[in-house]
Amino acid sequence: MPVFKTPFNGYSVKFSPFYENQVAVATAQNFGILGNGRVHVLQLGPTVTERAAFDTADGVYDVCWSESHDSLIVAAVADGSLKIYDLSLPAAANPIRSLHEHARECHGVDFNTVRKDSFLSASWDDTVKLWTVDRPASVRTFKEHAYCVYAAAWNPRHADVFASASGDCTARIWDVREPGSTMILPAHEFEILACDWNKYDDCIIATASVDKSIKVWDVRNYRVPLAVLNGHGYAVRKVKFSPHRGSMIASCSYDMSVCLWDYMVEDALIGRYDHHTEFAVGVDMSVLVEGLLASTGWDELVYVWQHGTDPRAP
Amino acid sequence: MDNNGQAAGSGPPPKPWERAGSSSGPAPFRPPSAGNTSEVVEASGTAQPGEVVSTTNTNVNRNIVNSVGRPVPARPWEQQQTYGGTYGGYGTGVNSGYGGGMYGSSYGGLGGGVGIGGGMYGNSMYRGGYSGLYGGSSMYGGGMYGGGMYGGGLGGGLGGPMGGYGMGMGGPYGEQDPNNPYGQPSQPPGFWISLMRVMQGVVNFFGRVAILIDQNTQAFHMFMSALLQLFDRSGMLYGELARFVLRILGVRTKPKRVHPPGGEGLPGPHSMPGNQNYIEGPKAAPNGGWDSVWG
Repeated sequence: MPVFKTPFNGYSVKFSPFYENQVAVATAQNFGILGNGRVHVLQLGPTVTERAAFDTADGVYDVCWSESHDSLIVAAVADGSLKIYDLSLPAAANPIRSLHEHARECHGVDFNTVRKDSFLSASWDDTVKLWTVDRPASVRTFKEHAYCVYAAAWNPRHADVFASASGDCTARIWDVREPGSTMILPAHEFEILACDWNKYDDCIIATASVDKSIKVWDVRNYRVPLAVLNGHGYAVRKVKFSPHRGSMIASCSYDMSVCLWDYMVEDALIGRYDHHTEFAVGVDMSVLVEGLLASTGWDELVYVWQHGTDPRAP
Repeated sequence: MDNNGQAAGSGPPPKPWERAGSSSGPAPFRPPSAGNTSEVVEASGTAQPGEVVSTTNTNVNRNIVNSVGRPVPARPWEQQQTYGGTYGGYGTGVNSGYGGGMYGSSYGGLGGGVGIGGGMYGNSMYRGGYSGLYGGSSMYGGGMYGGGMYGGGLGGGLGGPMGGYGMGMGGPYGEQDPNNPYGQPSQPPGFWISLMRVMQGVVNFFGRVAILIDQNTQAFHMFMSALLQLFDRSGMLYGELARFVLRILGVRTKPKRVHPPGGEGLPGPHSMPGNQNYIEGPKAAPNGGWDSVWG
């Protein structure tokens, strides 16, 4: 599979839930510390072509596709805003909406895959906000974390439940109908940078942390983790359960590698890809093509490859 | 590959896990509620206090909710860098033509409205009934401030779309009616305001660096230890060089003598007679070690 070079440093990559050959990439200039950002939508094929690109005045830290409309994407921007782009409109007519409520950088965004009408944003202002596509303001603000919230993830089987990962070393489980969090997982000794739900078991969640480990938890009994996955050399930046295999996990890390795990088996590390030459900060698994992976990093490259093949192979 | 996915608006293909069976056991969650998210949250009584946001039937909403018959939507263009948190009625303002809430409230905050003005005038906001009247008002675009990044040239990202509008000196500001396209452009921001904006940019910058260091605690720790060790070693090297140079110049320095523990005074706790137990100290090499290399 070919590679795509972005002008800025990559931060996140997501496969379209509608088309197997489209990915959205969030990028930020100067490593996301200072400067502009850009959202790319790439068309995969023998060569990767850019279908659209949208500039922002600050770095873009995350992006997600709408589950209700094939041309809408939501971007989490470092100025604290969420921007909704419509690919069917020319670049000059975008973004079609800019939602600015977070007081600090917006670091994660996730679209509800069950009800398909709402999305979550996680921000460094310690809050998670719930938005619906038909409203110009947030529906709810979830404020309990004591430090930056890095990621929020909807439960793939329950429309009202989601999890959040925070720098206060806890992951929390929330129900949008409850005033506060329903569970607090003191999951790691260090900051938690990402979390994701098992797609085949709505009680199992994985957390990735600065302590270099990934832990898999059962929310019914969260005193001890189901599995601890060690193998990354530095902080684990993103974790993602496979949409096709219940026990398979993809992760990327500041050690510049992308790893694949099977938390059910003893030697959990089943694949390791060292194709990035800088921090690998974005990874995704295609929901439409089994085994298709995408990753991006600070080396300004987006790789899309089939599991088991060399990402750098032409 | 072609886009052989789903037609717009029909929802994505079913997820692989939706075709599979259910989970491993009873989940500790309340069963999901019926209805859309807004209704569910409102019914639970946990919606934002004081927030009654109607799902106004604007162009934007129609476009997001319906996927067919799409007119060109109004554009809520880039309200950047309003860190003051005084965003007020931004959301509704976007949909109400003039964006009154936005102008009315966002100026109080520190650095609020750095990018305000860009695109609000002479833009699609006024498409329709207003377009004729306000056609010439794009000079209020405030493109100079539109970039939103504080340090000069960094605002280039918005240069393209903003360029067409931005001739004025910043957005409407101060006491002036911001919606009056015939008034004078307002004064540029004062010294203190500019300074505060710069300071905020600096704080923001260091905030992001700090978060990055947070996320790399281990790596940073190793880097710092390596750095300190380097300084330590280079200090020792410097000392040795200095002694060498002094020796060349004929100055004889007294080499430091390391007294082995137990050699005099009280013996060390683990010292055995005839067996010097050095833990960290330099080993006394037979010929005096490195202490007398330079004389």
